[in-house]
Amino acid sequence: MRLSGGTVSRTTTLYAGAAGLLLIGAFPFFWMLSTSLKPAGEIFATPTLVPRHATLANFVQLFRETNFAVYFRNSVLVSFTTVALTLVVSALGAYSLTRFRFRGRETVAGLILMTYMFAPIMIIIPFYILVRQLGLVNTHLALVLSYTTFCLPFCLWLLRAFFLSVPLELEEAALVDGAGRPRAVWHVVLPLVLPGLIAAGIFTFILAWNDFLFALVLITSDELKTLPVGVNDLFNATIVDWGMIMAAGVMITVPTIAFFAGVQRYLIQGWGAGGVKG
Amino acid sequence: MGWLLLAPSVLLIAGLVLYPILYNVWLSLFDKHAFLPAQAFVGLRHYQYFATDEEFWSSVRYGLVYAGATMVLQLGLGIMAALLLNEAFRGRNLLRGIVLFPYMIPTIVAVILWKWLLNDSYGLVNHLLMASGLVRTPVAWLGKDYIMWSLILTSVWQFSPFVVVTYLARLQTIPPELYEAAKVDGAGAWRRFVHVTLPQTRNVLFVIVLLRGIWMFTKFDTVWLMAGEGGVSRYVRTLPVYAYARTFTYLQAGMGAALAVIMFALLLGATALYFRLFRDEEVVA
Repeated sequence: MRLSGGTVSRTTTLYAGAAGLLLIGAFPFFWMLSTSLKPAGEIFATPTLVPRHATLANFVQLFRETNFAVYFRNSVLVSFTTVALTLVVSALGAYSLTRFRFRGRETVAGLILMTYMFAPIMIIIPFYILVRQLGLVNTHLALVLSYTTFCLPFCLWLLRAFFLSVPLELEEAALVDGAGRPRAVWHVVLPLVLPGLIAAGIFTFILAWNDFLFALVLITSDELKTLPVGVNDLFNATIVDWGMIMAAGVMITVPTIAFFAGVQRYLIQGWGAGGVKG
Repeated sequence: MGWLLLAPSVLLIAGLVLYPILYNVWLSLFDKHAFLPAQAFVGLRHYQYFATDEEFWSSVRYGLVYAGATMVLQLGLGIMAALLLNEAFRGRNLLRGIVLFPYMIPTIVAVILWKWLLNDSYGLVNHLLMASGLVRTPVAWLGKDYIMWSLILTSVWQFSPFVVVTYLARLQTIPPELYEAAKVDGAGAWRRFVHVTLPQTRNVLFVIVLLRGIWMFTKFDTVWLMAGEGGVSRYVRTLPVYAYARTFTYLQAGMGAALAVIMFALLLGATALYFRLFRDEEVVA
């Protein structure tokens, strides 16, 4: 849509709108950062935009007096294991869906897409009982398996689109040249679908890093908890220490935003192919 | 060979999604404790119970209010932001990245952020309202009167970026000639939006409304984290939260499973109706 009116008023409207969007999108984060750097006295006084006496005391307290470092380590461990497992499983699956003809292929592809619509809350009860029967309650393996399963439908469909875009002739040429199929895939196909793998990896990381429900239900002991549940516990434990809670918020947000900023263009590409749920 | 490579995916999805769905239906016919193995067949009794359960009906009402209000606001805000970000101005790419942030962060961060901004004694919102003289005493935004509004605000902030990015992706593919032609015909900005943009983006809107509708109606973490389990939580207890509470607080897994089945049936019905009402034969997504 083009806004009508004179050039000046059009430009003004545009920049006013952009400023509004910036305020909505970024200000809450700025406020979180600002609060996390304030000493207790300033937090409960008349609010100032930036701390008058910036301090890292809240961060020090967060790491010294709580289990935050343990939650952080658990989140990193679970998220990266999930990403690795999901990429291997979905790359194999997507390759199979695009390179082999076999009975039931389309049915399987359709079923996988359907599961994309399911929200975890709709199966969490039987899921919990199943995990219990398998003896996996209170293990990180249970989390990794849940996240992998819930990322698979999206990653399979995303990678399927990328594999389809690689011409079959390229692979066949490599095969004719005497390379075995694994080598042909590794040297010819994988480099070409790398943007897809990166996008799928980011989506998986974000889902695993952010999840609250599975971690809430499947993990019971404090030293195995991941960040979202751990921080919620900190929040509920005593009188809320806002400075420390905001410091925790900053620490959880930084990896996501750093990751995201580094690979934004791949992410947008992936979005075009199907979007993340949430 | 084909099946072999696909096997890990199929096994995981069949074992951890499809089997639980079927098991869930089976489970809803039993009285089952959440932790203990004991169970007793009760047939459809749970469903009969919920038919007259005031808590159930209120959770459906709260769910509809929550999903409905957040949907309308997300669509309005999301579409306006996407139209703006489709214009050319300096810093546009950076802003496109920034508006996505709220969607990328964990829900717990969105919730603690807004709980702090809306805090009754020390929150920035109340401070600004009082400093500007709009209110005289602090408003209890997280108390029972306003908790639903605060929850809606937090959710709209968190989930609108999905609408922005998805809508923007489609906007970028509209041929500029269409707008030029409309301009030659003397159409103003509003008429160009109604006669060019809207018809062109019909399909993507169809998908956005479908996905966001399903995801808002089944949203658990934002609602649960915003209101907790006791206190004000009963003023925002939507169906997913009620199903969770039945299972993991009252430990009645069978009843919780029945609620999940009802949720699924409601969504299936709504989706079928939605397709009937809004899906044209001529358009293809």
